[in-house]
Order: sequence, then C-alpha cells, then structure tokens
Amino acid sequence: METKSEYSVFSAINSKTGKELTLAMQELMLTGRLLPVGASLQVRHVFQCAEQKPVEVVYAFGLPRDAALRRFRIVGKGFSVMSELKPTAEAVKMYEEGIEAGSLSSLARQYRDGVVNLNVGNIRPGEMVAVYLEILAGVELRDDGLRFRFPFTLAPTYHAKTKSIEVEPGTGEMELPEEFGDVILPRWMQDATGLHRVGFELTVAVPQAVAEIGSPSHAIKVRHETDGQHRVSLAPEKDVPDRDLVLDIRTQAEIAGVTGGIGKDGTGHFAVVVPSSAFGKTEVAPKRIVFVIDRSGSMQGAPIAQARQAVEACLGALSKADAFGVVAFDDKVECLAERLMNGTKERREEARKFLAAVDARGGTELATGFLAAAKMLGKDGGDVLVLTDGQVSGTETILAKARTAGIRIHCLGIGSASQDRFLTLLARETGGVSRFLTARERVDMAAVELFASIGSPVARGVRVEADGITFAPELPPAIFAGTPLVLFGETDGKTDGQIWLTWEGGKLKAPVKLEQSSEAETIRLLQGSRLITDMEARMDSVGETDCETTRQNKALEELSTKYGLASRAMSLVAVVKRKGDKPGDLPETMVVPVGMPQDTEFGAYFSGGAMLCEPVGSYLAVPAMVRDENLPPQFSIRRGIGAGSSDFVLYSTEEERYGAEDLLLRLAALIELDGGMPGKDDEERWVATAVALCCFLAEGHTATVGAFRLHVARLLGFLRAAPSTATDERKRRLLEQAELGFAPAGDWTKQARALLAGKPITRQNFWRAATVKQGESVP
Amino acid sequence: MSMNSQKATEELSLAELAEKAGVPGRTIRFYIAKGLMPGPFKAGRGAFYGAEHLQRLAEIKQWQAKGLTLTEIARQIAGSAQPMKVMETPTAYWSYQLAPDVTVQVRADASPWRLRQIQRVLRDTAQRLAQPTTEEANDGNEK
Repeated sequence: METKSEYSVFSAINSKTGKELTLAMQELMLTGRLLPVGASLQVRHVFQCAEQKPVEVVYAFGLPRDAALRRFRIVGKGFSVMSELKPTAEAVKMYEEGIEAGSLSSLARQYRDGVVNLNVGNIRPGEMVAVYLEILAGVELRDDGLRFRFPFTLAPTYHAKTKSIEVEPGTGEMELPEEFGDVILPRWMQDATGLHRVGFELTVAVPQAVAEIGSPSHAIKVRHETDGQHRVSLAPEKDVPDRDLVLDIRTQAEIAGVTGGIGKDGTGHFAVVVPSSAFGKTEVAPKRIVFVIDRSGSMQGAPIAQARQAVEACLGALSKADAFGVVAFDDKVECLAERLMNGTKERREEARKFLAAVDARGGTELATGFLAAAKMLGKDGGDVLVLTDGQVSGTETILAKARTAGIRIHCLGIGSASQDRFLTLLARETGGVSRFLTARERVDMAAVELFASIGSPVARGVRVEADGITFAPELPPAIFAGTPLVLFGETDGKTDGQIWLTWEGGKLKAPVKLEQSSEAETIRLLQGSRLITDMEARMDSVGETDCETTRQNKALEELSTKYGLASRAMSLVAVVKRKGDKPGDLPETMVVPVGMPQDTEFGAYFSGGAMLCEPVGSYLAVPAMVRDENLPPQFSIRRGIGAGSSDFVLYSTEEERYGAEDLLLRLAALIELDGGMPGKDDEERWVATAVALCCFLAEGHTATVGAFRLHVARLLGFLRAAPSTATDERKRRLLEQAELGFAPAGDWTKQARALLAGKPITRQNFWRAATVKQGESVP
Repeated sequence: MSMNSQKATEELSLAELAEKAGVPGRTIRFYIAKGLMPGPFKAGRGAFYGAEHLQRLAEIKQWQAKGLTLTEIARQIAGSAQPMKVMETPTAYWSYQLAPDVTVQVRADASPWRLRQIQRVLRDTAQRLAQPTTEEANDGNEK
C-alpha cells in the first residue's frame, strides 16, 4: 500500500520490556470549531494492520463534558461509507454479522461513565483505514472566556470491584465488574513514548475579541485569521496520548448574546449566554461550607499537595459569621470535627494540622465523602467544595446519591485525564459549579476564585419566559459569580422575539433576532448532546429486565433518534463489503493502549511485585517509590503572551513557581477572624493590614473583582472599623483610595515579604512607602 | 483443553456460541486473542465452535468470580498442560521478603488500594526489622 511507508516510522519499542510495540492505531487527529456554548469536533483515527491476518481493533476513550457522538465515515482504498444510527442491540448484531461475513465492520458504542469503544474489525493485512468520527461536546464557559478539554487518554478509575494487574513492567490492565457490560478498557503504558501520535487543529469562533489563547497541557501555535477567527494547533510535529488537551480562551469583553439561527427545515435553534454580572453582585452572606478532599491513591504527588494548599488558601477568607468543616476521604472518611466550626484562628490552625496529615492512600469512595459533608451540614444545608481527580467508575450511582443528599456540590477537578464529564454532572445535578484543572496549574488560585463565588449566588429562582420559544434543558436553580447562564431555545420558525428572565429580586429582557444560518444545526446538536448527557446521568442501573430501565432506555432511544445522536441506547455502525471478503475468518482482536495520565502515579492503580506462580518476588528488591513532593511547573494564562501581539505565538507550559500569586495566597492565609493581619498591638496590625491590602490591590484584586475579592473586602472592613482610621487623616485618605480599588505606588511586594518573614513593618517605613499623592496612585 | 483430539458433539457458529454462553461475540474474539481459549475448529467459511468452547467460557466466568484477571487466567492456562480446576480459594499470593529471615505473603486479589496500604505497613515493618530495637541496644550495652 502506498501510504504504508508514511507510518513505518512507528516501529515503537516498549522502553520497560524492550519489546516491539505493534500499533493497530497509528494516529488520532482532532479538528473542529469551538463556539462559546460548545464544540463541533471531528476526530480522525488511522488504523493499520501490520499482522499476517486480519485484525479487529478496539479503541476505548472517554467522552468530554456534555458530549455525544453524531456519526462517522469510514474511509479506505476504494470506499467511503457513512455510519448508521441504530438501537444498540441492532447495531451490535449488524457489526457481528459484518465480521462473520468477512466485511470491514465498524461500531461506535457508548457504555456507562461515558466510555466509548470504537471497534473496527476485519482490517486486512497491510490495509489502512481511517475513521472520521464527529463529536459534539460542551465547554467550561466563564464570564470572560472558556476552557475546552478533549481526552487523549482515558483515566484508570476506582471501583470497589475493579481488578487491575501490572501485566508486564510498566503496563497495566484493568477490568470492570459484570455490571459494566462488555466494555473493553485499554492497556495503560507508564511510558507513552511510541504510542499512537496525537495532534489537533481547532478554530476558535467566539463573537467577542479574543484577548488570550493558552494551554496548560500542550505547546500550541495560534494563527490569527483575517475573518477574526483563530486557529490553534499543536506546536511540535506530534505528541503522545498521556493527557487531555486543555485550551483556555479569554475574551476582551464578557461573552454574551445569541448564537444560532433558522435552519434549513425552517425551525430556529439558538443559545443565549447571559453573563453572571448581568444578575448583579453577590451579597456577602455567611457561608456554611465543607471542604471535601479526595485522598485516594491516584491523588498522590502534585494533586494532593495542590488540594491541601487550595483549602488552606480558602480558610483565610473565612469570617466570624462563616462556619466550615473539612472531610478527607479515600475508602474511609475522616472529619476534622463532627460539626461545623467557626473560622477562629485556633480552629483554622487545627484545620491546617489536619490537612498536613492528609496524604494520598486508598480508594475513591466519593459518595461517602460528600455524604459525610451532608451530615455535617445537617438540615440547614450549605455548600460542599469537593477537590478530586474524579477517577471513579459507576458515576451514575454516585450521581443518584448526590441528588438525594440535599446539598449543593461544587467541584474542583484536578488531573490531566478528563473526568470533566462526571464532575460537571455532579455539580450541575446538585446546583453547583465545576472547574477542572491540571495539576500543573494554580489549583489554589482556582479554589480561592471558586470559593469566593459559592455560598451566595448572584441569582436564585431564575425563570425564563418567551412567546413561541421552548427552552431545554431546565435552568439551574442558582447562578454564581463568574459562571454565565446558558439557555438553549427552539422556535417553530419565529425570527423575532423577546426573552424575559426573572429571578428573586430582578428581571432582564433580551431580544432574540434569528436569521438563516448554518449555525442553527450545530446549536441543535449541542442542545441534543447536553440533553442526552443529562438523561444518561439519571440512568443509574443498566439491568436488561428491569421495567424502569426498559422505560429509561426507550426514552433515551427516542431522544437519540430526535437529535440524530448516539447514546448508551443507540450506537453507530457501518459495514463495508469489499471484493474478496472471506466469510468465517476470525480477526485477531487488538486493543489500543494509552498512556498513563501525566501526574497520576502508575503504582496508584497497578501494583508492582511478582506473583508466586512465577519466581518468588522480593519486596526489598523492588525499589520504593520516591515521589518528589515539589509541585510541577505551573501554568497561568494571565502570564501568557497576548493573542494580539503576534501572528504566530508559541506558549510554554513552564512557569516560575514563586510569583505574586503565591505571595497573595500566603497573605490570605494569615488574615484573622476580624479581617485584620496579625500584630502585637493595634498600630502594628493596622500597618500590616494596609500592607496586605495594598498588595492585593496592586495585583488587581478589589472588593468586587478578582479571586481574592472576599479577602480584600475583609481587610477593608478591618481598616474601616479601626478607631485610629477616623482620627488619622493619612489613614482615612488611604482607605478612601483603597475602597475605590487603588493602591498607592510603592514596593508592596517587598513589604509583604518582610511581613511574611515575621518582620514587623514600622509606621515610619510604611508611610515612607505609601506616599499617597494625587497622580502617584496606581490601579 | 485438547480440541483436536476430541470430537465436538455440537457445531456452533460464533453467534450461536455467544448466544448459548451469554458472552458477546466480540468478547469471545478478545478471549481467543488473549490466549484464554483456542480459536474455532477449521478456519474460514467452515469455522465452528464446540461444547468445550462453551465449557471454557463458563470456567472463565468462574475464575473471574474468584477474583482472577483475564491475564492471570491466561497465564494459568498457558502454564498448565492439564485443564485447570476451578479452585475454591485464590492461590495467587505476592511474596514480600522483609528481612533475610522474614517473608510475608499477601493475597494477590487484594484491590490495588488495599495492596498499597499493606505495602506501606510492610515497608515500615521492614525498616523496623532492619534497625536494632532499643531493648536489643540496651542488651548490647549490658554485655
């Protein structure tokens, strides 16, 4: 075959065993468009048979958030065939018959937890086949931009009944219990070098001007097109499948408005994005919050260190009126205390000691973690902030428990292999919000940001009304600062309309004007994939005979058919009859291996050692795992290069470890219950508080803007209440400026460093630094 | 399982075998590729499966229920000329030598999470065994 030489470079070697790897899947290439409300993707999988007999290749992957498969085209020498959408049992039968007949058969079937098996059977020796799979997926939308994740590897997951084994050094296998059906999971390779190559080229199509595009996961190239769109691609020639692609797009203005239009069939499909700022500001109300930390083995290393640091940073924002609790779980649950506690200095100190002892160990019994939190919150309810990698199986069961717990769960996902789909659902199904970061990002900063917005939503009881427009899915029960409201609407051809949004204490009118647009179909599909994901999340059991399950399957089948999208009930299948197909030939099954997710310890899932049925192993001969507890280099889009500064920009994932944000986090953790910084007397405390405040302001955090807005509000509150402020002219002027969001010019970083080193700032030194004069103030 | 020496009493297609065993066709092909069971009698158009394939599929289910992974089952099959009896209890153990005179065995079907916990305890114990205890040190002083 002509194209064979193109891929012949892939005679990869397993670095652990020295054995040659035969790659049944050569390449995975992601293309598509990113819109503010979702992504329309096409993934090219290139398969090649290097064996002497036909092969059947199984590739397992996890769906991104709110995703559904639309269709695929299978292409080879002399054929190009589109898949059909069929009820799963029918699709499996068609696939099996195709295999039996010796035809090239392909089946994309979805299982629980959003895991998909893409099967391509009867690829002949030397033959090359490409499968172009279309996927609709959601994005993590924020007021000022969006984050897109696409899984290039599948995370191994915890389930009490999962079996796992290290089949050879550096290669792990995992098997799920029977209730998960006949899903085949990949082999996980500790060293992903030599596995299939991955790449991507995506178009960013957001209506607002793009301020920055960055990636904490991959080195990227950004090309700015004349039509205002941006093309983002992998900077190196190729990469390996050991982590998600994560793209951050930050816009200059808030993302707001209507996308979509009237489709070819005359119906209108659109999405409305309403930024959270449109609902007004959060009223600072007392928080009742429990931090739930996942201490499972898979959190070992950077993720657990990041989670600890994140909770400590949040503790600094607690005020006298707030109550908090801390829960750490693996397959056991440990609580800091039975009940919620006030955020006094002593209690926070206790929490710090508790956190310091939280290291990674057992399984991930996520439900027991948040149920313990629910017990702690009691009948008064409250918020739960879960910090987890979400690497669990049987997510539908966990979601069912979460729905009945009566608590609002917010998720901060940490990890490089996406469990974004699950954590998004966990938050959404309980009325919370979710963020998912890689362990190489500022998880602590994201935690502080999330912490500031939860507890008191900007709007509750939001309702939508509009003539001749139907909306689905239902609206979230509450809107939180930073996370916009997204509505999917459908009209029967009406082109003009008004949408009225009402909520407790407010209302808003938004005009909708629709024109003929090809975008209508994309929006319809995105709405469908969201609805299918929601319905699947509510299907707990998969028993064939259960009457309720049959009814659920029927409903899912109808929804799938309506939108033309695959689901657990409907699969995609294609059978290609070729000349010379030999019936009855048994293809050899090959499962595509993937890389162990970056920052997840191989040993957390696949234990080393030797079996007794082989020569006796010696524990002492196995080198103990040495883990560098230092956090890996961290990424922050704020420090990236502006998208407008060049036509061709390279981003690096390397970042300096200690920066302004670390300093601010450390200051935040010192704030006392009355909102002031520590000191031996009132004057020393006033000066220290002013130094900290100036530091936050100088970095752009005010009482209403920025991740540290709660901290700033509390520092301001302390200075306002201090008796000396009213009597001292200079102090009053400084406070007035600070309340407007300005800090006097000065080297506040230097002063703060001294403060953190335990050196009190003298009154004289402080005022020398704070030369509060008109014209010298800096925002 | 010696397929060639025994005449199969029943000739089943893959679909029929799948139906009878309650195991999907794709899973059966996967088992064959993994060496858990032999391929069909004859190749190509006349390929068929027999009662022994059916029996093997039932055995695999039993071994799985005993906590063995497919790879472990395949290894056992490859290592034994005789058909493997389904054991009452798992006999696969990890062996950890903590000191020249101490060996500890741990059941291999423990979950990786449990195994890690056990390993931590063993590591601590190994370290403690490697150091003289206070009493021993005192004994040495007295002598």
